[in-house]
Amino acid sequence: MTLIQVIINSIIRASELSLLALGLTIVYDILKFANFAHTELAMIGAYLAFLLNVGLGISIVPAAIIASIATGFLSILIDRAVFRRMRGSIGIVVMVTSMGVGIALRNTVRAIWGPDARNYAVPLQKPLITPWFRITQLQIWIIIVGVLAMVAFYILLHYTTLGKAMRASSDDPDLAQASGIATEKIITYVWFIAISFASLGGILIGMETYVQPYMGFAIIIPVFCAAIMGGIGNPYGAMLGALVLGFAENFGLYINFGKVLNLGGLLPFSKDLFIPTGYKPAISFVILIVVLLVRPRGILGKKKEG
Amino acid sequence: MGFFNFLIYLAIMMGIYGILSLSLNLQYGFTGLANFGQVGFFCLGAYITTIITLAFGMPFILGLFGSMAIAGLFGYIIAIPTADLREDYWAIVTLASAEIVRMFFLNEDWVVGGGVYRGGAFGVGGIPQPFKSHFSAQAYPFFYFAIVLVCLLAAYLIINKLTRSPFGRVLKSIREGEDRLAQAMGKDVKGFRLKTMAVGGMFGGLAGCLWAHYYGFISPNQFLPLETFIVWAMVIVGGKGNNRGSVFGAVIIIIFYHSTRYLKDYIPIEEVTLASLRMVAIGILIVIVMLFMKEGIIKEKKPIY
Repeated sequence: MTLIQVIINSIIRASELSLLALGLTIVYDILKFANFAHTELAMIGAYLAFLLNVGLGISIVPAAIIASIATGFLSILIDRAVFRRMRGSIGIVVMVTSMGVGIALRNTVRAIWGPDARNYAVPLQKPLITPWFRITQLQIWIIIVGVLAMVAFYILLHYTTLGKAMRASSDDPDLAQASGIATEKIITYVWFIAISFASLGGILIGMETYVQPYMGFAIIIPVFCAAIMGGIGNPYGAMLGALVLGFAENFGLYINFGKVLNLGGLLPFSKDLFIPTGYKPAISFVILIVVLLVRPRGILGKKKEG
Repeated sequence: MGFFNFLIYLAIMMGIYGILSLSLNLQYGFTGLANFGQVGFFCLGAYITTIITLAFGMPFILGLFGSMAIAGLFGYIIAIPTADLREDYWAIVTLASAEIVRMFFLNEDWVVGGGVYRGGAFGVGGIPQPFKSHFSAQAYPFFYFAIVLVCLLAAYLIINKLTRSPFGRVLKSIREGEDRLAQAMGKDVKGFRLKTMAVGGMFGGLAGCLWAHYYGFISPNQFLPLETFIVWAMVIVGGKGNNRGSVFGAVIIIIFYHSTRYLKDYIPIEEVTLASLRMVAIGILIVIVMLFMKEGIIKEKKPIY
């Protein structure tokens, strides 16, 4: 594998992760709890798109859009039914509840569609092959969607009234409410945005690989890691975290640590030393630990709280 | 399997999960540490005792103490990076570390003890059952149940003693988010969290050890995160911050979990679907209890000093 290929793979992974980490972090920012059902909702989005795409024969782009909007509304429903009743409870209690929600969601899908992996009805991808790298059209789209989503989010946060209200509510909910911002309404919007972004991320992952009930749980650690690394509650931090993690996961397997240890041939011993592929998921965990030890509030973390 | 054998099997499961649930209760119920990786201790305990007794041919009792020691040490170590941080981080770090433990035993398949122990995806079989030769096949489950019961009682008494001591009161003050109160009293909050995770890990490892010797076969996919959430359901339904509640919760959830297994004999439903629906029920149960009866079935007694 060439270096350019590894960089491209890293960027693809980062695009997928940032869509998910962004939603996790903005929900945390306004509701102050870590939502363990977040990636499960992304999985629900992927399956809804599967239902529309394969079950009803709608082509993938409209299917993905409809599924993401529907998942966004589903999250509002779940908020009304469960999380709204727990406003003001301490974060850990809501977090445990969200874990219960996640288990129920994952297994509902498993009961309906079974545990096996499934594929979208998209035509077989013919990759663009150059001497340095190969990339499929879909992968180019993943990167474009990722970048567009980030730009859209930036515009939303800084150039719209809703964005201003969101920032105000997360900084100081009481003050925001006193200034005439309907916090509950903002929370509804935040859920919708966060979860439809997450769902889009889930669909993209599903298109690149496959959809499976376990896919949500499989990405929970990298997604949380990206959000925490950037400083949880900080949307730009989440994007940065996703980028770092995307690179770390791919370069972690690419780098020959034997060469690193003998300082590129300076020391007399030589032995190839790679991280076994079976440990790929462990990379995000190790990074998470290092970040928590060195900079617990994340790279772009806020100063307050601890 | 006859009905009577099934009952004794259930009783053994209740005992083992009761220990797991007591251990999680000490961490979450008393100290407010949301450990989403309880299964990591369980897995570690099961593998350590297997390596000690099967690969090195040591007696059961060494396996038992060995798995407790290693799992306790592991609990202490994984607590270090997060001990100063908000509880949100605990959940993800513990979840991840349990996955790392499983991934380790899944990927490492070295041969130990002349080929008796060989890990990896296929698992390890032929784990010796303690004192098996002294009993008939009929009587052995009863004897094993006795071992489990003794361990459960020991776990209950030790954790009960711990939580009622001044040590336990500090833990509760940490749980109530009063780190500063505990700190002001000169208590080392970080140290208390580390100790709690070590004790929790020890008993998690004990449960794993008992499980491995009962089944005689372990493999990495017996230790999926799913197990952690079953234990969580036990603590939450039984009543957190309350040792009797944890054991009671284990009894209820085990009965629920295993009785629904036979539903497929009566209604036409596939095994996989049934297993999924069972977990849907567990998830919903957690949500309902958290929403409508926060204290669980047996409420925590809050003494007034």
